[in-house]
Amino acid sequence: MRIVQAATQPPLATALAEAWMRDESFVLLPARTSLDPATVTSWLAGAPASWAEGHYVLLTSGSTGLPKLVVGARARTQALARALHVAQDLDEVAEAVVLLPLSYSYAFVNQFVWATIHGRRLVVTEGLGAPAEVLAALDGARDAMLCLVGSQVPLLRQHAGSRRFPGVTRLHFAGGRFPQEQLPYLRGLFPAARIYNNYGCAEALPRLTVRRADASDEGANVGAPLPGIELAAAPDGRLLFRSPFRAVGLVEDGVVRVLDDAEWLASGDLAEPVGDGSWRLLGRSGDVFKRFGEKVSLASLLAAVHAVWPGAAAFHLESAQGEPAHVLTLAPAPDPAALRDVLAALRRGFSRAQWPVRIEARATLPTLPNGKPDGRALADSPGAETLWRQRL
Amino acid sequence: MTNHDKLRDLLTDVLLLGDAEYRTDLTRREVDTWDSLAVVAIATGIEETFGYHMSEAEAMGIGGVADIIVLLEQRGIPFGD
Repeated sequence: MRIVQAATQPPLATALAEAWMRDESFVLLPARTSLDPATVTSWLAGAPASWAEGHYVLLTSGSTGLPKLVVGARARTQALARALHVAQDLDEVAEAVVLLPLSYSYAFVNQFVWATIHGRRLVVTEGLGAPAEVLAALDGARDAMLCLVGSQVPLLRQHAGSRRFPGVTRLHFAGGRFPQEQLPYLRGLFPAARIYNNYGCAEALPRLTVRRADASDEGANVGAPLPGIELAAAPDGRLLFRSPFRAVGLVEDGVVRVLDDAEWLASGDLAEPVGDGSWRLLGRSGDVFKRFGEKVSLASLLAAVHAVWPGAAAFHLESAQGEPAHVLTLAPAPDPAALRDVLAALRRGFSRAQWPVRIEARATLPTLPNGKPDGRALADSPGAETLWRQRL
Repeated sequence: MTNHDKLRDLLTDVLLLGDAEYRTDLTRREVDTWDSLAVVAIATGIEETFGYHMSEAEAMGIGGVADIIVLLEQRGIPFGD
C-alpha cells in the first residue's frame, strides 16, 4: 500500500487528497510515529487481498498504548461523512478549519473526508503550537466548521482571550471529555457556532454518537447513536457497538484481524443508557478501578476538578502501597486559592480513597499529536512541582 | 513558623479543611474526612513534620486536635508558643 506521511510529503492535505482519489489503498501516518513505514508495510503483508484497493489505514494506540493499525473501507467512511452532514446540518458550512493532525481519525473523517466528498474548502493549520496561524485562520473563517478536543480549550483560551470568531458556525468536540464547563466561554468566542459533542473511537472510524451541546447539561452525556449504529452495555459496564461505518480490520504487532460486522466491539469506555435514547459515559475502561476497596472514576474526578479549575487537568496512574494510585496534574500552576478550591471540590464529592495521591503542577500539559494529554509523559518527564500529597 | 502553625498546615492539608474550619478544639467526629486513611496520613505527617513516630494505638486513640497537641507535648514537642 502507498504510505502518506506528513513528515515526508508536505503539504499533507494535497498528498492525502491525491491518495483518496486513487483506487489503491493507502496508509496515513502522522509526522512523528514510533512505527516506521517499513514496519507498517511488513505488518500489512498478511492483509487480505481485498484490502489492496478502496481502503485506507490509520495508526492509533491500542489498549496497551502500543501502536495499532485500523483499516477502513473508503465507501463506509464516505457513507459516515454523509450521515454526519445530515446529523450536523452542514449544508451551509463552506469550509473546515483544521487544528488537529489529519492523521487523527476524528479530523480525518469529520473534516478531510467530509470536505472532500462535499466539495468544501479545507483550511489546514499547524495547530495551537502555531497560535498566530490559528488565530489568522479563525479570523478569516467564513461559515466554517472547527473540530477540537477538550484539552485544547485552555490553550485556545490562553491565545484567543476575549476575541470573537463569528465565522465559525459549527464547533465540534470529540476525542475525550466534553468541556461542558467551558461552554459559556466557547459561546462567547464563537458566537455564531452550533456546538456539538461527538463520541466514538478509532475502531468505529470514528463516530458513534452526536449531540447538540445544549441538549444536555451533563458533559458525560454523548447523545444518541447515529442512524444504523447500535450501542449496548456489557454486564461489566463496557460500551459495545456495531456500526455499518466501522473499521474492517485491525493489525497489531503484525497480527491481522478481520472484523466481523456481526461482532460487538468495545469502545474502550464504560457507559450506561440514560433512558431517552442517549448514553452517559462513566469513564475509560482502564480509568475506573478500586482503591482501598472504593471505586475510583477518573472521569468523575476530572469533571469535579474542571467545575472549579479553568486550566488544563489530567490524571496519570501509578502504584502506591500495592494499590493503583492516581496523580492529578494541573497546568498552569494554580495559585494557593485556586488549589484550595480544587481540594475543596475533592472533599465535597469524594472519599479520601478516591482523592489523588498527589496534585502536581506543570506550565503546560504534555500532549499527544492528537491533542490529548500524554499520560506516559506525565508520569515520566521531569518538571512537575508537587503542590499537595496525601501522605499515605 | 510555630508548632501550632505546622500542625494547622498539616491537618488542613490532610483533611482538606478550609482556613476557617481549623480550630484547636476540633474533634474527629466533626470532620467527615477524618477517616481511617486520614489517621494514617496524619501519623505520617506528624513523623515528617515533628520527627515523632506515633504507635498504632496512639494514632487510633486521637479524638481531635487537642489530643495531638497533648501527645506531642508529652513527647517533648512544645506548643506553648
